Amino acid sequence: MKAPSVLARSSRWFLSGALIAGVMLGVAAAPSQAASPAAGPPIKIGFSVSLSGDFSSDGQAILQGYRLWAADVNSHGGLLGRKVRLIYYDDASSTTQVQTDYTKLITSDKVDLTFGPFSTLLTIPATAVARRYGYAFLAPAGGGPLVFQQNFHNFFFVQPSPVARNLVSFTHWLLTLPKSRRPTTAAYVTIDDPFAKPEVDTARGILSRHGVRSVYYTVVPSEVTDFQPMALSAAHTHAQLVVIGSPGPDLSIALINGFKQQHYNPKAIIATSGPDQGKTFSKAVGLRNTEGIMVPEGWWYGAKTYQNTRFISEYLRTYHGTVADISQDTPEAYSVGQVAQQAVTKIGSLDNGKLIAELHRGTFQSVQGPMRFDSAGRPQGESFIVQWRNGNTVPVYPAQYAVKSVEYPKPHWH
Amino acid sequence: MRIAARLAGLAVLLAIAVVVPQVINSPLSMTMAVFTLLFAIMATGWNVLGGYTGYISLGHAAFFGIGAYALTLLGQHVQVSSGYEPFFLLPVVGLIGAASAVPLGIITLRTRRHVFVVLTIAMLFIGQLLATNLRDLTNGSTGLSAPAAPWMGSAFNPPFYYAALIVLVVAVAVSWWIRQSKFGLGLRALRDDEDRALGLGINAGLAKLVCFVVAAFFIAIAGGIYAYFQTYIYPQVVFDPLADLAMVLMAFTGGVGTVSGPVLGALLIEPAHEYFAFTYGGNGLYLILYGTLFLVVILLLPQGVIPTISYWLALYRQRRQTGAAGQIGGQVTPAAATQRERAGEQPIEQPPPGSRAANQ
Amino acid sequence: MDLIYGAIVTGILTGGVYALMASGLTLVFGVMDIINVGQGALVILGAYLAYALEQHLHLDPFLSLLLTIPALFLVGVVIEVAIIRRLKRDRTMLSILVTFAVALIIEGLLTLFFTTNLVKIDAWYVDNSFPVGSVYVAYIYLFGFILSVVLLAALWAFLYRTKFGQGIRATVQNRTAAELIGINVARVETITFGIGVSLAAAGGMVYGAINTFNPVSAYDLISRLLVIIILGGMGSLFGALVAALFMLIVEDVTSVVWSPVWATLVFYVVLAAVLLVRAQGVFGKVATRRQ
Repeated sequence: MKAPSVLARSSRWFLSGALIAGVMLGVAAAPSQAASPAAGPPIKIGFSVSLSGDFSSDGQAILQGYRLWAADVNSHGGLLGRKVRLIYYDDASSTTQVQTDYTKLITSDKVDLTFGPFSTLLTIPATAVARRYGYAFLAPAGGGPLVFQQNFHNFFFVQPSPVARNLVSFTHWLLTLPKSRRPTTAAYVTIDDPFAKPEVDTARGILSRHGVRSVYYTVVPSEVTDFQPMALSAAHTHAQLVVIGSPGPDLSIALINGFKQQHYNPKAIIATSGPDQGKTFSKAVGLRNTEGIMVPEGWWYGAKTYQNTRFISEYLRTYHGTVADISQDTPEAYSVGQVAQQAVTKIGSLDNGKLIAELHRGTFQSVQGPMRFDSAGRPQGESFIVQWRNGNTVPVYPAQYAVKSVEYPKPHWH
Repeated sequence: MRIAARLAGLAVLLAIAVVVPQVINSPLSMTMAVFTLLFAIMATGWNVLGGYTGYISLGHAAFFGIGAYALTLLGQHVQVSSGYEPFFLLPVVGLIGAASAVPLGIITLRTRRHVFVVLTIAMLFIGQLLATNLRDLTNGSTGLSAPAAPWMGSAFNPPFYYAALIVLVVAVAVSWWIRQSKFGLGLRALRDDEDRALGLGINAGLAKLVCFVVAAFFIAIAGGIYAYFQTYIYPQVVFDPLADLAMVLMAFTGGVGTVSGPVLGALLIEPAHEYFAFTYGGNGLYLILYGTLFLVVILLLPQGVIPTISYWLALYRQRRQTGAAGQIGGQVTPAAATQRERAGEQPIEQPPPGSRAANQ
Repeated sequence: MDLIYGAIVTGILTGGVYALMASGLTLVFGVMDIINVGQGALVILGAYLAYALEQHLHLDPFLSLLLTIPALFLVGVVIEVAIIRRLKRDRTMLSILVTFAVALIIEGLLTLFFTTNLVKIDAWYVDNSFPVGSVYVAYIYLFGFILSVVLLAALWAFLYRTKFGQGIRATVQNRTAAELIGINVARVETITFGIGVSLAAAGGMVYGAINTFNPVSAYDLISRLLVIIILGGMGSLFGALVAALFMLIVEDVTSVVWSPVWATLVFYVVLAAVLLVRAQGVFGKVATRRQ
């Protein structure tokens, strides 16, 4: 777990380094107003991330996104002319720890703004704490229907669409296939999670109504770690389609590896999360076995969205690797920063009440595209389906986002 | 006169407890205070079974979970306006916990003591399993939302603090009453030698069951307050083996079998626990510290703080009375022991800590 | 139907491994009258040791047993001498609390070193499988079972064919009498505890190769082991073996026939049913005095 002082220390180095550089520039350059930020106290932004536990790989990716954004802001003049400082804690993927963390951030660390943690499961209790103190809550993840049902006025889900509809796009594509090619049977395996299960249930309802028989449906409690029996039973049904509801990558990875072991080759596989985790996913199942697997996403590296090229080059410079390694969570977190920045700059203050009003009013640009929120915090856009092709992910549906057409059926395991 | 002094002392303690929320400003500290009170309730309740009868239950936290879900589900039918409505549900919550305890107690109390302990562990996990899998009722791992309290900011914690304080006072009163009643005498006989107690005509089965159920009653209420306090509950959180162990540890630390012991134990341990969990949380150091603390308490202070202190006090007074010659050899005389025992500080007929009594 | 045959096969194979882990537990109870609630954590410790050796030294998990079994034997001896031996009165009850505390410490240490991320031991026989009917079973199940059989046979030989083993059995029968005829009961206890823990190492390696695990897995594991030894009768090795096989078969079959998540509940339901009928477990001795 990172204690706040660790980041503060590195932040302090950055600050002093920047100040020295700024002073030298100021001395060397013309005596007019320089672009370097004024020496106001830094703006504190607080959040918790899952650095350990079930959601640790997603949590790390979220942290990367926040950090990239903060570094970007600070190197371009800061926010309201002040440096941005991130204060965060490890919530260990625990629903109780996340509440303690946000209480501390708000009441003890006295942060100016709060950003969200990973997963709907953790977002719900965190938002309740933020609401108690009147803070706006911008969440990179946590768009399950349960959150919106709470009608929290301070909540904003910064992804293109509320997740319950994520798989609907996929069902639309499937139903465009001629009946002879369509899968006739489907297996559904989902974790009992407020993000994954509603998506899978929605898809199952639609597909069952249109003639795709559900031959296997199981809801797995979130603390189960052994997914072998589910892989076995699903494989045994020989279903032609598999829909996986996993909030983190564990279930989808375990099922895919299980299917490999059982030599079970469904015609199509789609997961709510896991295949969107870049390197984490491709390493775990083997790059060649990613071919054809689909996942809904809100961001693509080739999209011409606001600051996307800048984001990607910053990422590659800081974390190296290739674009296919970038997990969805990182641009999601980056978008949170972008939206916050635009809203704060527009109203010219850090007052959370005014911020909440502005966030409900305006449209904001991000690497995921334009963002607008309704009164419960629902974003008003839609996500698209992405598929692994030759070791990279590309959008394949719907047509306005598609770069390639859908590869169907999925090739056999290697 | 001694009784007057003790009552005065209790009144002072109560006055301090009532004033605390007015004095503390930080919501974090107030949250810690609420948790401390909740654990004090749980430890006191647990002690009625574990301390008075000697049947150590390592699964009574299952009733905490039952209480939490009971309040949450009942709360869905309650209109929250002033915010105090859910508190009136607490007696019902307690009764639900007690009712569920009856069949569980009947099944588990049939066996020998150490099998009983193991069965209670199973009880906790079964509770968690059911809460996770009966999704139509409990919404499973996704969790359930309790009624939302209307209080904002730092006005949020005090009502919970006072509700927990009231419940704690009731729990301690009940615990005290049992202890000094004829029923309590029978319990002590049962704890020391069950067969002999049976021979004396004590209905051991019924006595144990009553204690089992009373413990479940208070623990369930604590669970109910917790649910309302946290606004969201999840099966793995309210059926938590660590909270279960914490409850037992507090009773042991303060003094198993005494009335004030569990409360003292909670006061000592919970703030430390919150501090550790908060500072070290996810990285395991907190578990290590916890386990070590538990080991130390069991091995070095098997009687708990209060009986050990009162033993030392008795020893000190003895030495002063008999002079430096040490004729009595530092042993507490039976008369002195009985007097202290009636005052509620030292469990009777337990060999003084540290002595090498025969292996049972 | 094929699925059920597959389940029975994996049930038998994993039952053997659980029997190995439970045998240590029940033997310790028989000899010392204490319940080592930390056995689950010790199994996970064994799993992590095998995992670490495999990850950093690329040591085959079965070979690593040559290191982990003696290592855990020592751990067991240390625990017994430093902690268990200090319990004088109320040993059975206090041992439960004390070993629970030890389990917490072990869990904390493992979380500190390895975090709570899920891991699994990797080897060619974990990923590759052989067919049983139309179902594929990973080789590790078979190898793990063979290991369990070998170790249990060795344990049996130790107990019934060596002098020290005779001493152990004498202590189980009647502690005082054993002391009177000159058996060093303290040493018997220490060695027995050490053996119990070292068996956990072996079981842990197989467990870690079959399941993904993290430090929290210890809770679920100890619940099962306790159920198994109570069912089989505490103190009875044969009972532990039969109970382990039975429970794992029932669980695996329930898992495919009904649902994996309810299968764990079946564990407890069977226990409750058996205890209601026969309070001492199938092969246990009746308590002479209710204490």
